[in-house]
Amino acid sequence: MRAVRAIAANTFREAIRDRILYLFIGFAVVMVVSSKLFGMLTVGDETKIIKDIGLAAMQFFSMLIAVMMSMILISREVDSRTVFIILAKPVRRWQFILGKYLGLVSIVTANLILITVVLMLTVLLVAGELDLMLLFAGVMTMLEMLVLAAFATLFAVLTRPILGSLMTLAVFVVGHMSADLWLLTRQLPGALTRAVIAIVYYLLPNLERFNFRAEVVHDLAIPGAVVGWAVLYSFAFVVVVLFLANLRFRGKDLK
Amino acid sequence: MKRTLASFAVIVVLLGLVVLSEVRLGEITREDPLGRELLYLPSPEMLKIMSLGNPGLVADVLYLWSIQYYSFYQPHERFLYLETVYTLITDLDPLYVDAYRIGALIMQIQTGSDQEELEAAVRRLFDKGLRNLPDNWQLAEAAAWDFFIRFADRETALHYAEVASQRPGAPPRIKRMVGVWRDKESAWTLDDSIEYWRRAVEGAENEWDRVLCMNQFYDAVTARDRKTLEPLLDTFSARFGFCPESWEDLIRAGGLSRVPLDAFGDPYGIGFKDCGLVAFKKFKDQ
Repeated sequence: MRAVRAIAANTFREAIRDRILYLFIGFAVVMVVSSKLFGMLTVGDETKIIKDIGLAAMQFFSMLIAVMMSMILISREVDSRTVFIILAKPVRRWQFILGKYLGLVSIVTANLILITVVLMLTVLLVAGELDLMLLFAGVMTMLEMLVLAAFATLFAVLTRPILGSLMTLAVFVVGHMSADLWLLTRQLPGALTRAVIAIVYYLLPNLERFNFRAEVVHDLAIPGAVVGWAVLYSFAFVVVVLFLANLRFRGKDLK
Repeated sequence: MKRTLASFAVIVVLLGLVVLSEVRLGEITREDPLGRELLYLPSPEMLKIMSLGNPGLVADVLYLWSIQYYSFYQPHERFLYLETVYTLITDLDPLYVDAYRIGALIMQIQTGSDQEELEAAVRRLFDKGLRNLPDNWQLAEAAAWDFFIRFADRETALHYAEVASQRPGAPPRIKRMVGVWRDKESAWTLDDSIEYWRRAVEGAENEWDRVLCMNQFYDAVTARDRKTLEPLLDTFSARFGFCPESWEDLIRAGGLSRVPLDAFGDPYGIGFKDCGLVAFKKFKDQ
C-alpha cells in the first residue's frame, strides 16, 4: 500500500505543479463568485441561481480536470521514461495504476472541496443560510468524478493522450444521456435491438444517478436508499473499470 | 526602440479600428434575416439532454433571458411565444416558482391580443405550477389576486383562493379571504357562510385571527337574522302605522315568541329611523 500511496502523492504533486489546473480552479471559483451577479439579474429567488450555477461549475470543472489529467496521467511517465524507474522498484503494475487513479481522484477532490466551500460561503453571504445540502451535492459529484476518473485512467492506458481525453469527455456526455438510451428501448420494436441497447445501457455509466442538484436547490427530501445504491453503483463501476485498466496495463509493452 | 514604438503605434491604430468598426456596426440596424428569433427555441427534451444533468441551470438562463427580452420594448413580436417560453422553462425546472409567477405576470401585461386566450394561457401556467408544487400556497394566492385584479374574473379568483386555503401552511388570512370573497360574491347561502365562519373561529390560530373570523361570523348571523326579522318589523309598521318601540311590542302583537339575540347572545335593537334591525357588535372573550 506504501507504493500506491507514494505514486498517488507523486501524481498529486505533479498535477498541482501544472498551471492549467490553477486556470480551471480559478475559472470555477470566479464562476461561483460571479453567480451573485447573475442572481442580481433575476426577479425572485436569487439563491436558486447562485446554487444552480455553483453546482454546475462544480461538476463541469471537475470533469475538465479529470479529462485534462487523463492526458498526462500515464503518457508523461512513459514519455519521460520514469515509468521504467518506478516499475523497476518493487512496485507492481496494478499498484501503479491504482496510485495514478488515486492521485487523479485526490486532485479532483481538492478542487471539489475548494468549489464547495466557495459556493457555501457565497450562499451564506447572500442568503444568510449555511446550506449543508451543498456539501451533499459535492459528495455526489465526487462519486460521479470517481467513475469518470476511473475511465480517464482506463483510456490513459488504452490509447493516446488526446484520444484518451476525448473518450473520457465522451463518457461524461454519454453518461448523462444514457437514461435516454434506456427510454429508447421502450420505443424500438425488435426484441433483439432492445436487448442490445439494454446491454449498452448497462455497460455505460449512468452519471445521472449521482445528480441530486435539483433536490439540493429546491431543498427536497432525498431517500437514503437512492444515495446508498448510488454509492454502491459508483464503487462497483470504479472497481470494474480499474480492473480493466490493470488488465490492459499488465500486458502493455511500454517500450 | 524605433521598431518597438512603430509596432506599438500599429497596435494602437488597429485597436482604434476595432473599436470604431464595433461602434459603427452597432449603429447600423439590421433586420433579422432568419425572421423571428424565438422560432428556433429547442424542445425541452432536447435542452434537457444538452444540459448534461443541469436542466435547472438552463431554466435559469432562459428565465434570465426572458426577463431581459420581455422587458425590452423594441421587438414588435415582444409577446410572441410567451407561453411557449415559460412552458419550456417550467418543463426544464418544474419546481421553479418564480418562473410561474413572473411568467404569468408578464402575460398579464400583454394587451391588444385576444384577452380570453391570454387569460386561458395565464390559467394554464398557474395550473401547471400548482400541479407541480402541491405544497405551495403562495402561488395559488398570487393566481387568485391576479385573476381578481387583472382579469376581474372573480369566479376563477375564488377558485384559486380556495386552492390556496387548502394547502398546507396557508396562513389564516387566506381562509378569511375565501370567506369574505364568497360572502361578497354571494357564492353560497347565509347558512353556509355562518357554518364556514363558525368553523374558522373554532380553528383560529391566534387571537387576532379569531377576532377577525368572529367579526365575519357575527355579520353572517346578523344578515340571516335581518332577513327574518325585518319583514316582521315591516308587517308591524304596516299594521299599526308606527314602528315598534321594542321587541316586546312585537311579542305582544304575536309576531315573535321572544327577544331576538345576536351571535353573542345580546339582544338586537330596532332602528327607529328606518325601522330596521340594529346589531351592537361588541366582542367578548370567548
